[in-house]
Amino acid sequence: MSDRFLRVAIALVAIAGAGVAGYLTYVHYQPDALVCTAGGGCEKVQDSDYATIVGIPVAVLGLAAYVAVLALVAWDTPTARALVAAIALGALAFAAYLIAVQAFAIEAWCVWCLVNDVVLVPLLALLAVLRLTATTSEPGVAPSA
Amino acid sequence: MLWIALGGAAVVAIALIAGSLLLRGGDDTPSGGTTSGSTAEVDGIPQDRTLLGDPDAKVTLIQWEDLQCPGCLAYQEGAFPGIVEQYVRAGKINVRFKGYTFIGDDSEKALRAALAAGLQGKFWQMQTLLYQNQGGENTGWVTDELIRDLATQIGLDVDKLEADMGSAKVTAQIAAMQKEAEQLGIRGTPTFFISVDGGTPYQVQPDAYTVEAFAPIFEDALQGS
Repeated sequence: MSDRFLRVAIALVAIAGAGVAGYLTYVHYQPDALVCTAGGGCEKVQDSDYATIVGIPVAVLGLAAYVAVLALVAWDTPTARALVAAIALGALAFAAYLIAVQAFAIEAWCVWCLVNDVVLVPLLALLAVLRLTATTSEPGVAPSA
Repeated sequence: MLWIALGGAAVVAIALIAGSLLLRGGDDTPSGGTTSGSTAEVDGIPQDRTLLGDPDAKVTLIQWEDLQCPGCLAYQEGAFPGIVEQYVRAGKINVRFKGYTFIGDDSEKALRAALAAGLQGKFWQMQTLLYQNQGGENTGWVTDELIRDLATQIGLDVDKLEADMGSAKVTAQIAAMQKEAEQLGIRGTPTFFISVDGGTPYQVQPDAYTVEAFAPIFEDALQGS
């Protein structure tokens, strides 16, 4: 896979992730998300204690991370690539934690959270690591400015 | 570079997970007797059991709620104070509470406490304090101690309240509300209806839990449309 392919792929995954995180942020603040329904619980995941950290919705943190990744992909220096990989791998560990929280603490699932945690974040981490290792192990591939 | 990224990732992940475990929002624990809150937003407004405001107001906002529903708490905190201040205190509308206790045992116990407080003319004070002390769903947060503390705080006869909570009168009130909810097809809470001049209520859905989102609904109703 060429560096250009990986760069574009990372950007596309980040855009998709920003879309999902943006949607989850929107839902977090909308009354529909806060309607408790018979048989459906109270949108337990989005409404749970685990949905915020110091008052900041986890969805907002995710959105910020994807925006940061997009900015770093645009910046595209060796440092930026390392930062993208750091964010992606950190997000991967946090996503695994959030899956465990849904399974064992909240005992409820949020479909769009899973799309992010199971598909987009692992994909982003894989692409970011592939790109970082490819560019650091192949001196011939010069990062574009 | 990979090792730097892994180090950075570890820092990010540890910070997020530690933050989530230690600084997550909300409070799932029962209140344990430490109560707090103020009833200032409803104090001084005429009330008749579950009706708040001028009984002759042209428009009635009927709010179906479960007292342990987080969505209802969001409404209570986001829109209710403004609605009371701008519309109920001004005599434009009154508000009717309807209980739909579908989440669990704490729902019914909380409603019993509020309805029993209503028999002493302080339904809305008890309702307000219960929301301010709301715990996690079905965690047993509606303790006898909490109810006694809240009742004392608003100057109720605690013994009478406890007796009324289990009375046939309150039981019948709850049963009537549940039956009405089923007839109306209430599927969740909060659910809102508007009644104009005592007419047949119609359901409304605000875009958000803010007084601004409710304003056009009230204005339409006040104009009789």
